[in-house]
Amino acid sequence: MSWERITAEVAAPAPPLTERLLRAARVPGHLARLLAATPALSRAWAAAVAVALGFAVAAAHLADHGFLAFLTLAPVLPTAGIALAYGRRIDPAHETYAATPMAGAPLLLVRSTAVLLTALALTALAVPLLPSVAVQSVAVQSVALPSVAWAWLLPALAMTSGCLALATRVPLPVAAVTLGGGWVAVVTAVGAVTDDRALPFRPAAQVLYGCAVALLTLVLYVRRHRLDPAEPR
Amino acid sequence: MTPIVTVRGLRKRYGRRSVLDGLDIAFGTGVTGLLGPNGAGKTTLLRCLATTLAPDAGELRVLGLDPATASGRLGVRRRLGYLPQDPGFYPHFTAFETLDYVAILKEMTDRRERHREVTRALTEVGLTDRARTKVRKLSGGMRQRLALAQALLGGPDLLVLDEPTVGLDPEQRLRLRALVSRLGESRTVLLSTHQTEDVAALCERVVVMDGGRILFDGTPAGLAAVAAGRVSLGDHRPGPGGLFWRTADGRYRTIGEAPADAVPAEPTVEGGYLLLVGRTEEAA
Repeated sequence: MSWERITAEVAAPAPPLTERLLRAARVPGHLARLLAATPALSRAWAAAVAVALGFAVAAAHLADHGFLAFLTLAPVLPTAGIALAYGRRIDPAHETYAATPMAGAPLLLVRSTAVLLTALALTALAVPLLPSVAVQSVAVQSVALPSVAWAWLLPALAMTSGCLALATRVPLPVAAVTLGGGWVAVVTAVGAVTDDRALPFRPAAQVLYGCAVALLTLVLYVRRHRLDPAEPR
Repeated sequence: MTPIVTVRGLRKRYGRRSVLDGLDIAFGTGVTGLLGPNGAGKTTLLRCLATTLAPDAGELRVLGLDPATASGRLGVRRRLGYLPQDPGFYPHFTAFETLDYVAILKEMTDRRERHREVTRALTEVGLTDRARTKVRKLSGGMRQRLALAQALLGGPDLLVLDEPTVGLDPEQRLRLRALVSRLGESRTVLLSTHQTEDVAALCERVVVMDGGRILFDGTPAGLAAVAAGRVSLGDHRPGPGGLFWRTADGRYRTIGEAPADAVPAEPTVEGGYLLLVGRTEEAA
């Protein structure tokens, strides 16, 4: 081993826990570093997600249809995180990174993956804390109980792919706010005009979300170059 | 001169304000300094060349590639080193981690090779002993050197440096000059600065910009020659209307209309620059 290499290895600090865990899960080292260093994945953001989920779980325990608040909130969390993960106003080093080969879609997608997986993991941890009675009250109409508890998953994926697809046309924070606000408004409106407040989470709606994920992912793939910082939006 | 960068009819507006007004220029190998007052369009031009900003109109060829296309941008970024005007950092990263992260974004995936390159860049800017120091604990000058180090990663063919000497002490500035001049022997280096001494000492070519246009394009000696016969030294304080200051030997150095009792003095790059941008009266 050359002296130069020894110096380089000694100077390199030990990777943080998240990065070590990702490497242990056979994620390539450079990708593990990018995922672990995503700006939105700060303790503050994770704490904010945990608190929001805590309120949603509490609402499910206290109110008749509080469980729906949990289902409505969960898909918004990854979208909010993605809005905080990339962009000139968000990332202090954006201008530096914008001139590298990984600028635009590659970096945004890596960071979005990190945010999405973290938000999904935290939400999944909250599911067992939901009151079974509340879940049952929503589940009565032909849906098995465990699947209702996970009815937020496909909307979350649809919101994430929708946010990224929309970001090829408008700035990322605008896309996130538009979709997040639109989702909450639609769920609330459906509850107001129909007898079934849980309609947006029923199997027919889930099929729709699944189709939306596929379609929006395709749109994102086709328009990925528009995510480049040098593309006018 | 074989042009490495060619700019034709480049225009950029921010709202109603025109920042680049149909700019035409080419750059070859060597160090070129961009001088100009704040708002002259230097940073906007450099950002367009660094592929972080799209111009409104005009043509760019950088390293033989067209940054208006996705493949062209990618090709440019693979051969580019860019130091932005406000290089931000993640304060919780160490100096080593900061460079390691940029190296990954520059597609250096092999860990050992990458770490060796990071160490080399840290050595180039004299920050080896700060490799494990958090960015938040580095001084302003050290951060600036760290920002320069990230631009050097991968040995880029084109270096775009926006005000690289900001925050550096005199010794560090001299070291930077040595580094940049060495790099400029085989590469294209474009640097914007407010320091006319850096331009005089370092650049073989200087471009003066104001209002999104080029006012001067030539050698530092040529820029100094603009002030020939308009720089003077006198024993008495000149009247209002020109830029003057009292020198260490108690005489008055005037740029602009010479007072009656003054004698011509050696013109400088600074004098030529001030006369070109028409700021002698304003500054006074």
